[in-house]
Amino acid sequence: MDAFNNFVTGSISLFSDPLGILIFFGGVIGGMLFGAIPGVSMLTLAAILLPFTAHLSPVHGIMLFSVIYCTGVYGGAITAILFNIPGAPENAPTAFDGYPMTQKGQAGKAVGAAVMCSALGGVTSTIIMMAATAPIADWAISAFGPPEIFALVFFGLAVAASVGAKTFWKGWLSILIGLMVAVVGLDPVGGIERYDFDMPYLLAGIHFIPTILGFFAVSEIFVQAEKKVKGAYKAPKISIAFPTLGELIAHKFAIVRSIVIGFFCGILPGIGATLAAFMGYNEAVRWSKTPKEFGKGKLEGVISSETANNAATGAAMIPLLALGLPGGALTAMMVGVFQMHDMEPGPLVFINSGDLVWVVFAAMFYANVSILLIGWLETKTIINLLRIPFQFLAPMILLLATVGAYAVRGLTIDVIVMFLAGVVGFFLRRSGYSVAGIVLGLILGKIGEQTFAQAMQMLHFEWSGFFDRPIALGLLVVGVLTLMGSIYGEFFKKKPPTAETPVS
Amino acid sequence: MWLGLCLFLFIYSFEFNQGIEIYKFGATAWPRAIILLMAIAALGQLYHHWKLGDQATSQIISAAVDDGAEEAAHEAHHEGLKWYASTLGLLIIPFAYMRVPDWITALVSAEGTSVHVIRIICAAILIGIFIYTMRRNITGAMLTLPLFFAAMLEDMGFYSLAPFFIIGVMFMFGERRAKPMVLIAALIFGLLMLLFVKILYVGLPVGNIHPFYDIGSWAVTILQ
Repeated sequence: MDAFNNFVTGSISLFSDPLGILIFFGGVIGGMLFGAIPGVSMLTLAAILLPFTAHLSPVHGIMLFSVIYCTGVYGGAITAILFNIPGAPENAPTAFDGYPMTQKGQAGKAVGAAVMCSALGGVTSTIIMMAATAPIADWAISAFGPPEIFALVFFGLAVAASVGAKTFWKGWLSILIGLMVAVVGLDPVGGIERYDFDMPYLLAGIHFIPTILGFFAVSEIFVQAEKKVKGAYKAPKISIAFPTLGELIAHKFAIVRSIVIGFFCGILPGIGATLAAFMGYNEAVRWSKTPKEFGKGKLEGVISSETANNAATGAAMIPLLALGLPGGALTAMMVGVFQMHDMEPGPLVFINSGDLVWVVFAAMFYANVSILLIGWLETKTIINLLRIPFQFLAPMILLLATVGAYAVRGLTIDVIVMFLAGVVGFFLRRSGYSVAGIVLGLILGKIGEQTFAQAMQMLHFEWSGFFDRPIALGLLVVGVLTLMGSIYGEFFKKKPPTAETPVS
Repeated sequence: MWLGLCLFLFIYSFEFNQGIEIYKFGATAWPRAIILLMAIAALGQLYHHWKLGDQATSQIISAAVDDGAEEAAHEAHHEGLKWYASTLGLLIIPFAYMRVPDWITALVSAEGTSVHVIRIICAAILIGIFIYTMRRNITGAMLTLPLFFAAMLEDMGFYSLAPFFIIGVMFMFGERRAKPMVLIAALIFGLLMLLFVKILYVGLPVGNIHPFYDIGSWAVTILQ
């Protein structure tokens, strides 16, 4: 009841302040727009705004960033669905089924599902965050150290290997390519240069934003170009038929499962919305009775990914506010906002600045609700982009990607890397490899190596230390079982008859 | 091919095979473990291909299998050695631009504006080769064009190259009407400039050789 009263007080404070209302709506619209522009993500907007928050009150500054976080994660889904260009890494799994739905003339349904599920995931996550910040943070932070996070990464990769590629082995090769690309640059413990080939640029590693843009957006343009050469290109059908309530209710288990996964991943520092989205999608595939329909335009794929990534946003605030531990880049910037106002996030914030916390919680709740309201209106207009002939859309997408890749670090080599990734992605896709697996390997590779090194140092290089940690052991065992199951299926399971291999 | 790549990566790992005082596995353990797994997966793929040919694994989720990439390649007859050789030839062009002008500059010990002249002449020759070759392999040219654009970006700048790049991509996609091409190029370029340069102050490469640098700087001054 206390939480509810605090929420009402926070809501009144938010909406009785004209400047607060202005900042709230600015954050909502800015987050959606920047999330939807490939490469120029919500992080770009947050980075641009960070210095200006010094002129705002701490409440306004933190609220602005939390609102951008909620709506930015949703915004990236739109371009993922319409053009196969995830606005941010956490929207990558949304493209797996969202883009095929667009090609089948169900763009409205996919975007509509993204709108509703993002809002639902976000609102639920915010409510849980308000009710249970302190106890959940205490448990997660004490129970999850580097060994558990490494085990979670291993489990995520083991599951992801069965998504996207033509064969089990190609799935693993895709993930291993991503892991290998993540090795390029400085080693996370000793700072030793690895695979830099004496090129100074490679010392900083290969950035994932140009790589994602290349593998998803650029390679898609190349595939369409090839279809155009043969005259096999088909323009996507336009449709603004939104999903019915019945369709969403039919996926209630997927939604609940993704909320749990998203919330759980969001709470862990350094993991956040990206792994949440991939795991939400992977679990949807694993639990489905018709897993082979995923990747071909299944609504459940979009629902699972978008619910999970938005469910992670509320949860990510828990370690930040309760313990001062940022879960990702945007929450790390929020620490910067606190520090600019001579404050430190952590347990004392609840005691010393209770008003601030509850205004921020209320703003996050309403930001997620506004995804539902503004998202519907935005969707109706943005889907019309598909009416533009592809020969005019293609250069626009390529130039947007160019600006996005260049804006990350101001290096033209990032643009070259992006187009090179596009060429590599084009050849890998036509050979049945999974570009999604490569991207997941790239993103999780850095977290995996870092947490593995920390875990081994923590366990004094004794592998048996994993056996004393039930959560880590459980995740490793489930990961190994998943892997063994796939290997068993590859070698021992009877293959279904196909046209080429008729059963005698 | 995969096994060859594994061997190369393993041999190269000796370049950074140094110990770390606080971490007994050193800098090589992680990449070598990945290389080992990669070699196992490559052997598995080889076994799969030998046993089942190109058949997909039954329990795999087919996000990439049915995205039309394989089908498009098959329908366009882009699977033969001739097509791959022609595409590789085209893809060499941007990398040639990244290296050849430097070699010539070093060879003739050029300095100052003559370096710029060498780069412009090299670019012109390579563009000529690209246009001549692209007629027989449009898909290969489409793969090459963005890379060529990116390779020239540092020298020629975004502002000078982008309009030509837009027209080039439209041409690759089969657009042949001059008027819509020019109008759409102006519209896309104008919108991007307005959003990124005028409103968001994103700094885009202006180029570093004359006259492209002057054009880029002029565009930035006008816009900002």
